[in-house]
Amino acid sequence: MKLNERSVAHYATCNSPPDKTGFLFKKGERNTAYHRRWFILKGNMLFYFEERESREPIGVIVLEGCTVELCESESEEFAFAIKFDCVKAKAYKMAAENQAAMESWVKALSRASFDYMRLVVKELERQLEEVQEEARSSQAKSKPKKHQPQVQGAASFQPATFSLQNAAITGPSQEGVSSRENGVSWSKPTSVPNGVSEGCVWEGDCSGRGDVVKPPPVPPRRKTNGGSLDSPVSPGTGCFSKLHNWYGKEVAELRIEWLQSQ
Amino acid sequence: MRFNEKELVFLSRQPSERAAELGMRGPKKGDVVKRRVVKLIVNFLFYFRTDEDEPIGALLLEQCRVEREDQHAFSIVFLDEAERKYLFECDSQEQCVEWIDAIVKASYEFMRKNLVYYRTEIHRLTGKDPLEQYGISDETRFQVNSGLPPLPPPPT
Repeated sequence: MKLNERSVAHYATCNSPPDKTGFLFKKGERNTAYHRRWFILKGNMLFYFEERESREPIGVIVLEGCTVELCESESEEFAFAIKFDCVKAKAYKMAAENQAAMESWVKALSRASFDYMRLVVKELERQLEEVQEEARSSQAKSKPKKHQPQVQGAASFQPATFSLQNAAITGPSQEGVSSRENGVSWSKPTSVPNGVSEGCVWEGDCSGRGDVVKPPPVPPRRKTNGGSLDSPVSPGTGCFSKLHNWYGKEVAELRIEWLQSQ
Repeated sequence: MRFNEKELVFLSRQPSERAAELGMRGPKKGDVVKRRVVKLIVNFLFYFRTDEDEPIGALLLEQCRVEREDQHAFSIVFLDEAERKYLFECDSQEQCVEWIDAIVKASYEFMRKNLVYYRTEIHRLTGKDPLEQYGISDETRFQVNSGLPPLPPPPT
């Protein structure tokens, strides 16, 4: 079966930070001795290199449908194995250099699957919706004109509005035009909780409250110079939390403006 | 580079996020469009000859960009070799849009960004770290300030 190996190898060494790195002993597949290899865990991919300085991995283990178990080995201490569900699957036998390293690797590897990450994301998404819903209902009880920047800004800030594209920060309606680099865009993974389509963040917020206050305007879309990820109007996309804090501030400011104009 | 092929083939038989028969053209000069059954499972795109059980190949959907090519088609390029395009032809605009959306959201790194966003936002609203109750707040993969450097600009 073919695999886009060059690009997979590139994922190992590209500038996104790995989840874990370190030396482990790996039992050879043909030669059954244990060989010391440099391992890089990124997402659900466990890469191994001959040396720490090697530029290309020798191989990769895709960590889907597997379990990680401690095992007894006559020759190695601190041994564990990555076992797969499928029939005739092999177990990858590994050994760490000490107890702490073994425990740390076993933990990291057992949480490496895509499904696990998806589970955690779904759970947090659900929790955020709950928190936002609570904030909205407590807001509805207070006077509609009263300005509560903390809660309002938070409750109505949905990531769907700010999907980051390569060259332009565009709204979700421009489907035919923009390309989305999956390393950058982070629009909401599932449908917006209030059942409203992606573009209508503010309207969704209002329908939840059931009062007659008109929704504030959607934040203006900004076009950036083509080609650069570093838009002139936002901080570099380097630090995600900085970026979304920046947008959160902007949203809050716009709301203040709008409320004052009412 | 070695990879656990048997396990990957097993993965290709699992329930998919999305599957369809599409026209697919490889990235090499001289490649032509062929009908393939394309299956999206976790962050892999498997492609099969129609009515065959074993996939011809798989694409890991990390560090790639998905672009609309025209009304009914989209392409995937990998950032390390952006001249090479995998082209996919759909039966309708709607199908095309749905596939693009699904593939963009299929990367592990995309999910990670969402997680970081939700975690930060919940913490901001409630003062509590939502991962603490699960005992996973120190896991590297969930860290907020992983200090990602900016991605290189896309080749023109």
